[in-house]
Amino acid sequence: MAKVKIGISVNGKCYELDVEFYETLLNVLRNKLGLTGTKFGCGKGECGACTVNINGEAILSCLTLAVQADGKEILTIEGLQNGTKLHPLQEAFVKHSAIQCGYCTPGVIMAAKALLDCDPKPSEETVRKALANNLCRCTGYDKPVKAILEAAKTMRGKHEK
Amino acid sequence: MVSLFRPREYYRPKDLREATWLLSSFGRKARVIAGGTDLLVDKPPEVECLVDISNLNLGYIRKDKDGINIGAATLLGLIESSPILSSGPYIVVSEAVSMLATPTIRNMATIGGNICNASPAADMPLALMVLDATMKIAGLKGSRILPIGDFFQDVKKTILDDGELLVEIHIPVSSKNSGTAFQKLRHHQASVDLAIVNVATKLTCSDNLCEDARIALGAVAKTPIRAKKAEKLLIGKKIDTALMQRAAEAASEEAKPIDDVRASAEYRKKMVAVLARRALEASFKRCTTWQK
Repeated sequence: MAKVKIGISVNGKCYELDVEFYETLLNVLRNKLGLTGTKFGCGKGECGACTVNINGEAILSCLTLAVQADGKEILTIEGLQNGTKLHPLQEAFVKHSAIQCGYCTPGVIMAAKALLDCDPKPSEETVRKALANNLCRCTGYDKPVKAILEAAKTMRGKHEK
Repeated sequence: MVSLFRPREYYRPKDLREATWLLSSFGRKARVIAGGTDLLVDKPPEVECLVDISNLNLGYIRKDKDGINIGAATLLGLIESSPILSSGPYIVVSEAVSMLATPTIRNMATIGGNICNASPAADMPLALMVLDATMKIAGLKGSRILPIGDFFQDVKKTILDDGELLVEIHIPVSSKNSGTAFQKLRHHQASVDLAIVNVATKLTCSDNLCEDARIALGAVAKTPIRAKKAEKLLIGKKIDTALMQRAAEAASEEAKPIDDVRASAEYRKKMVAVLARRALEASFKRCTTWQK
């Protein structure tokens, strides 16, 4: 099959990879880079388990071809923590027990990360709308929404200092 | 054996000439890719060549004296937040976008993709139909311009020939006396669900007298349609609640829906009347508020 070379930055590290034209970014992340934090759910853009950030925007990696991501900056759940220190979003999710089975969590957190990067002070409604593409069948969304609102507050606090 | 989506070629042309040349040389085996949110769900096995249009600079919203031009590869998210498309008679465009899929999908999907996929339930065509939008289509031999009403031929089938590409949507200047609105019914109102029924309307009124009307219906025929009999009922009359109700019922009569997984034909017809009435009322309210 025809392969093509792409260059992508994932969590601050640059990779040159040979990919098939039909290969999704999700497949590359999980199977070529071993970054299995990003999940495969429906493969149709309905569940959001595969959400990552590309150039700061929440994007579904199951509906993005690897070749389309060529030259772009990708952030996955593995890239959020700073050394051993968890990102405020991750800390808030732990604190609020906003996780049950955990399968949707990486996608939810990456959708939230993209939201907070452009809107540091979102309303509860805005947070809920931003999660419209993330299915969670365990938590009922209540705790994740609370965690995201608290993380927003923590992150604003840091910038204001 | 199951056939899989396995394109063997992928091109990211630098200009329209190259793009249309690629599309015409590969013919039906070529497919345009922009956001990918329809193509990579369908994964059509017959596709052998992908033509990525992300380098053609087709992502823009520009206003001039003749109206508004939107590049075919403009992200829906950008349209949703555009002040030009969120005010006056053009509000129907951002309203339709805000009800289309989810914010994450709108970061990826383009207006041209929503149009060219030619789903009978698509949202953008309806908003553009009530605004009398035209489509600029580029081909190997030059470009042509068509009203959006002539663009759709059948379920998932447009008028685009092999080698042609939708490049721009033009929305002419609408009368300041116009009000528009969009209504959509789906199983879960803030999800990726497609419309059971969707409706866009435009009313142009001076005082209460209706000078012009547009009603566009989705998910009730093989293509998006205009309810022209219902429009005629309104034009030249004094608008009131009873008349809008009658026009909405007439629109429902013009709908020819089918039973499918999302809803029955009977339910769809009834919902057309409800959604058309709501859209007409909102349009009327908007055109009277703006005139004050």
